[in-house]
Amino acid sequence: MSIIKIENLHKAYEQNQVLKNINLEMAAGQIVGYIGPNGAGKSTTIKILCGITSEFDGEVWVMGMDVRKNAIEIKQKIGYIPELAALYEVLTPIEYLRFSGKLYNLDEGIISKKTNELLRLFELNDKANNRMTSFSKGMKQKVLLISGLLHNPEIIFLDEPLSGLDANAVILVKEILSQLKTAGKTIFYSSHIMDVVEKISDRIIIIDKGEVKADGSFEELKTRAHEGSLESIFTSLTGGSAQHQNTANEFINILNS
Amino acid sequence: MDKLIMKFVLWIAKMFLKKDVNFQQLKIIIETKLLMDRRRVRVNMKQQNAKKDPSNQILMTMIVYGFMGLFIGVIVIGMPNIIMSMAIVHSYILFMMAMTLITDFSTVLLDTTDNQIILPRPVASKTFFIARLIHILVYLLQFTIALSLIPLVCTFIAYGFFVGVACIATIFLTVMFSVFITYLLYGLILKVSSEEKIKDIISWFQIIMTIVFAAGFQILPRLINFDAIEKKFTMATSWYHYLLPPMWMANALETVQKGIFDLPHLLMIVLALFLPPFTFWIMIKFLAPNFAKKIAAMGNTNSNDNTTTINNVSNTKNSTEEKIAAIICKTRTEQAGFELTWKMTSRDKTFKIQFYPSLAYLAVFAFIFVFKSGKGLAESWQNLGNTNMFLWFVYLSNFTMATGLALVAFNDNFAAAWRYYTSPINNPGNLISGSIKTMLIKFYMPIFLILFAFSFYVWGPKIIDDFILGFFNNIIMLLVMSILGKKYLPFSTQLNVKQQGGKFVKMILQMLIIGVIVALHYFTLKIWWLTISLVPFSAAACYFLFLKIQHYGWAVIEE
Repeated sequence: MSIIKIENLHKAYEQNQVLKNINLEMAAGQIVGYIGPNGAGKSTTIKILCGITSEFDGEVWVMGMDVRKNAIEIKQKIGYIPELAALYEVLTPIEYLRFSGKLYNLDEGIISKKTNELLRLFELNDKANNRMTSFSKGMKQKVLLISGLLHNPEIIFLDEPLSGLDANAVILVKEILSQLKTAGKTIFYSSHIMDVVEKISDRIIIIDKGEVKADGSFEELKTRAHEGSLESIFTSLTGGSAQHQNTANEFINILNS
Repeated sequence: MDKLIMKFVLWIAKMFLKKDVNFQQLKIIIETKLLMDRRRVRVNMKQQNAKKDPSNQILMTMIVYGFMGLFIGVIVIGMPNIIMSMAIVHSYILFMMAMTLITDFSTVLLDTTDNQIILPRPVASKTFFIARLIHILVYLLQFTIALSLIPLVCTFIAYGFFVGVACIATIFLTVMFSVFITYLLYGLILKVSSEEKIKDIISWFQIIMTIVFAAGFQILPRLINFDAIEKKFTMATSWYHYLLPPMWMANALETVQKGIFDLPHLLMIVLALFLPPFTFWIMIKFLAPNFAKKIAAMGNTNSNDNTTTINNVSNTKNSTEEKIAAIICKTRTEQAGFELTWKMTSRDKTFKIQFYPSLAYLAVFAFIFVFKSGKGLAESWQNLGNTNMFLWFVYLSNFTMATGLALVAFNDNFAAAWRYYTSPINNPGNLISGSIKTMLIKFYMPIFLILFAFSFYVWGPKIIDDFILGFFNNIIMLLVMSILGKKYLPFSTQLNVKQQGGKFVKMILQMLIIGVIVALHYFTLKIWWLTISLVPFSAAACYFLFLKIQHYGWAVIEE
């Protein structure tokens, strides 16, 4: 049985068609990379899968449950880690994680125990009681990661999870993701960092202008597109490298004029 | 206090709520929201404190409100007429509540981060809705208590038990009405403009609020001629009294006190009892849902909604400041400093909130100079033409302008100043002189012209030469202050406590310089030709001081 199933998904904001007929099925225990240019509809798909947006056309099931009817049950079993470091900055990491843990109906004792240990692993324990207003993007991203995983979810949705992290943290997060996969979790994440997607994803889905352009493992995409890296596959599918070259050429010409 | 109120409200809520609301979630959401309320920096409080992590900002605000309540309480006790004193109490609560809601609570109401933070978690929408409601309720209650506690106690003392109890009711009705007014205002703004505009409009309200806070207590005591106002109030009810909610409340309370049941009083009581709940009902039924939808849309569409901000890049037409810059700035670096400062002073919210109120204080100071307390308004006005008071008006703007010039150095986004340090600029002083020129042309000249126009009206043509000399003298003082102070490039540093240290010394120094110049100017008044013949010297001094600033090298610039 597939853990995520999307059928004929359409979504429009006013006149703007963001998703045009998406059909996907995902098996449990996989890491799925969801990539596409800005405005392709990545965040919208994730928001629908997490039960945040219920206004759409088509059918979407997560763990066999209809996202429109069972949004609360689904939210309890998934973890969502948003981009843009959306959190309440005036709180300290401890306070924020306590808040978010309680929203998942976790026990206070468990929250504080897990929080302390996870913050220590992320080397944030000395800042655990400082307000996050002064935190860097990477530090906030770490707190967000913990807050999305604290309730030990079955499926984890990540929107640009690596943005702002330093090189060591990127390696750590990559490792955590693969360990989570080994533990049987499903991971669905969107990113711009192609070489990371290339390395850790079991399956890569490329979308552009609300449509699926390619779907398969990295090896499959490579043989089909006759390109060497995910980056070149991506550009050939979504914009065309010739166009980028032209734009770059023109750019240099204007500078010289 | 908020924790106590929360416990109380939650205790009541628990009795009404059924199983479909998750109480644990409800509690943690409200707790967290109140914690954030306590830490949120309030704009109407002193900006300097903002940089230190505020631990309980809301308590400070409420203490200030409490003190203002003391002032109102004194009026309640001192004033024999119940209609008038109650009208003042209710106007005060209506105004303060609406202003607080608009300026402070707006950040909560217009916040879209909730959508991103709470919606992905397994929280039922009903729980979330009720949490929001209770949060607003607790917020309203604590401010109502802070505002009305002392006036209420005074009401009990002055008018007895029954009026006091009735007053509690009318205060709640007034608070209800102020919530409606706030919603109505937001609804209107949302209807006509975008999210950015709202923040802009709200910051204007914050500026007004700051002015009212500071100026209200200076002007009001001078203005209030208690006898005259009281006569007006004891007259029969005028038609416009029916339009003023505080009057409804005051009349209702008079009925409680004296048992008057004539037609005007009955009408007022009906208005007082039924209109606030009715408007509240309208708000919940029509305004609030519409409002919630708009807010939700704000969070969703902001990534795609760039259409309005895109201007035609190839548009080569210059704006006003760019034209002025081309005329009065010698180098391109100076032009850059001039244009940047011009634009930032119009757009940067922090600067506006700190500087624009001080422009309003000018009017307050002018008022205080003209109408010294002790004498009647009319008397001081008639005497004015015979005094040499116009000298005050010549130099009045100096303090404000010095503050403004100092503020130009600060910006929340100060890190962007790397642009200066990485640019091939020989004389960074040009940036400073450019920004000084902006301040002079954009703020000093209009103010000075207004002061001149006023003085010309009062004193006639004999003051023209004094204003011409004063015009340059003011500039000299500002430039000297700038040269003596630390030299920051425009918008290149953060406002913090450390830099506030030298402020007092600087103030004293400034007073001294102004004192000396004003004194000298005062002596020149005696010799009719001296004033005008000093003008060329003063102008020349301005020119050389500007040259000095323009020639600053990197060595003297603070980073």
